[in-house]
Amino acid sequence: MTVRAVLRDLFSPYHPGTSAIHRLPAAVKLGAILALILVLAFLPAAAWAAYAAAAALLLLAALLSRVPLSRLAQRLLLIEPFALGMALLALFQPHGLQQFLAIMTKSTLCLSALVLLSATTRTTDLLRLLSRLRVPPLFITTLTLMHRYLFVLLDEAQRMQRARRSRSLHQGRWATWHAWASVAAHLFVRSADRAERIYAAMCARGWKT
Amino acid sequence: MHIPDGFLDIKTAATCGALALTGVGVALHTVRRTLPERRVPLVGLAAAFVFAAQMLNFPVGGGASGHLMGSVLAVVLLGPSAAVLVMTAVLVLQCFMFADGGVTALGANVFNMALVSTFTGYAVYRLLCRLGPDTPRTRLMATAFAAWSSTVAAALACAGELALSGTILWALVSPTMLGSHMFIGIGEGLITTLVVAAIARTRPELLGARQGPGQAGGYVEFTVYGLLVALGLVIFVAPFASPSPDGLERAAATLGFEQQTAATRIASPLNDYAVAGLDTTALSTILAGGIGAVVAFIFALLLARAFALPERAPSAAPPNDGPCCAP
Amino acid sequence: MKALEVRNLSYRYPDGRAALRDVSLELEAGERLGLIGPNGAGKSTLLLHLNGLLPERLDSPSPIHVFGRPVEKAHLSGVRAQVGLLFQDPDDQLFCPTVGEDVAFGPRQLGLTGSALTARVAAALEQVGLAGFEERLPHRLSHGEKHRVCLAGLLACEARVLALDEPTSSLDPRGRRELKALLQRLPMAQIIATHDLELVVEICPRVLVLDQGALVAAGPTCDILNDEALMLAHGLERPHILQHHHPHPSSVRS
Repeated sequence: MTVRAVLRDLFSPYHPGTSAIHRLPAAVKLGAILALILVLAFLPAAAWAAYAAAAALLLLAALLSRVPLSRLAQRLLLIEPFALGMALLALFQPHGLQQFLAIMTKSTLCLSALVLLSATTRTTDLLRLLSRLRVPPLFITTLTLMHRYLFVLLDEAQRMQRARRSRSLHQGRWATWHAWASVAAHLFVRSADRAERIYAAMCARGWKT
Repeated sequence: MHIPDGFLDIKTAATCGALALTGVGVALHTVRRTLPERRVPLVGLAAAFVFAAQMLNFPVGGGASGHLMGSVLAVVLLGPSAAVLVMTAVLVLQCFMFADGGVTALGANVFNMALVSTFTGYAVYRLLCRLGPDTPRTRLMATAFAAWSSTVAAALACAGELALSGTILWALVSPTMLGSHMFIGIGEGLITTLVVAAIARTRPELLGARQGPGQAGGYVEFTVYGLLVALGLVIFVAPFASPSPDGLERAAATLGFEQQTAATRIASPLNDYAVAGLDTTALSTILAGGIGAVVAFIFALLLARAFALPERAPSAAPPNDGPCCAP
Repeated sequence: MKALEVRNLSYRYPDGRAALRDVSLELEAGERLGLIGPNGAGKSTLLLHLNGLLPERLDSPSPIHVFGRPVEKAHLSGVRAQVGLLFQDPDDQLFCPTVGEDVAFGPRQLGLTGSALTARVAAALEQVGLAGFEERLPHRLSHGEKHRVCLAGLLACEARVLALDEPTSSLDPRGRRELKALLQRLPMAQIIATHDLELVVEICPRVLVLDQGALVAAGPTCDILNDEALMLAHGLERPHILQHHHPHPSSVRS
């Protein structure tokens, strides 16, 4: 009953810096990374030369960004298992090994590109970009509020879990599930109440839809 | 179930993208039209809540732990269109901030986890609420089974997309995905039900907040989501579910993909070694699915029995009966 | 002209409980007024009314006037720009992704854009002592900083009345001291709902006591807060600070 440690670490994907990569406009970075991912993802299965070129390009960008490679690798390794789990299935079919290697290489390269993007670009800059891309305002509001309150909610959840644990001496699995559910339910109730107060605060500062 | 980049080919990714975009567009349109202004922040907070709930893990046993997908939770709390919006927002942020789920697979992930699972969950929930007596127990039971169905349906769509892309054979991916998600779905049903029951106990009026097809135009969205999901299943799953070996080619031909090498590439190994057992594979898949559904249904009944509040307290039942009981 | 005029305001919660009974008050431009009372006395509810956030359907004619303008639908955006409401939990009020965007939220709704907006935001942050905080993320701020960013958001709207709900609760001594100094520096009229009686003694010359939705006392702070019997009767107590300042309590009450 803990916040998934794996993802907890990913909370602050942004690594502050002043490198050339950091200073590039978010739109340029997003465009370049998206283009790279599109090309990579839809390349034929065994375009090894192209994979090598993409890897070199990404490595160069990573070095330029001066984000420690170990940090990038760490984040990559945290997400990799999800891809690996799915790709393992490919091993059990004809020409499975080749297929497996190809999709793992592709997905690892694409993951690295995304990790690099989020390490050098603030999420808030990406959100700002969305309004320039004519994404409907309702969706942007939803994304923005979610991003803003995710951390608040997780802190709340952690406090509730701690308080609960401090009072529970022995717990079977059933009790743990029950406790989990009541923490989650409480979290929703609090979120709904908070949403009311946010609405009031938005109105108080002249919000018009 | 988040598909990473590199697992889908261009036709599957594009098809998923188109379906997802249409569905989310309809959801946005509906929410903008029907959601009262004061509930707009709630959609954002609910998205944060679902995201947070996905990060809280619970022990499954054997050291493993599971986590919630949350689409039925969102449906029961907010109604289908807002739930689609919430799930989409969660997936978009997961993709770009945490690299969880690929960019080229975003359409597929949104289609599976925001549209297929939400719509399936909602349809099952409504159907069961209609069939049973109008009690909190029926609603809980419907919640549990809807959560299970939504998980399995999303896994089915996911398996179909991977197979159609030529990444993993249908004969491999479908039993694995469906089998594992029949178990995961039990967890989803349990947790969703426990959370909904706890909210019903403390703040039943929050469950009355969902907007359903009782409101003007509700049936239109319901139909649109239904059509999109059906179309997706026809494209992604039907080619493989058909017992006739040339089903895939036929489907590919009607869709104009006949030149695509991917289609033939999957079709040929199927021809090579799976056809002989295809009838039995399809049959056993259906059989396993049926048994799974029955088990999940019984489980949902037991769960509802254990957690439903007695009818006596008027506050136990949501004041506004919402979608399940709308005329 | 009075900054704020409330005449016989009554309000019931949706469930029928009386929240405010016949409350009347006046606030002069530039005056700082303390609003004290036990939990559930209706302090926050009163503040929400000043901004037209309650009742759900505004009464007409309104019992509340802000600089002579009634709090009615037609004047609502004007009133909301003039009355800056500081909520109890700063996280409720900081709903934008960055500090800069949050402070800009109000003025942007008022139609400000471009460099004028940037300048307004910078000036407001400067005023609260947080110059250069534009790109910071709200969840990385200390509680005191969050409070001050909220205040900057109100200042950026050029509010002429500040309605503050528990501004010092959950602040550490330094945060409290900084906030107090800031409130003393700000020239606009302020109505401060709080349990921090020492803050009231220190910065509010006049105080209102609210209990069970009704005004039970009003007058100069020292007179009211020194009235031990009155304070105890309404779930309050005489702050220690007064014992040193005013060893001879008077019993004048208005």
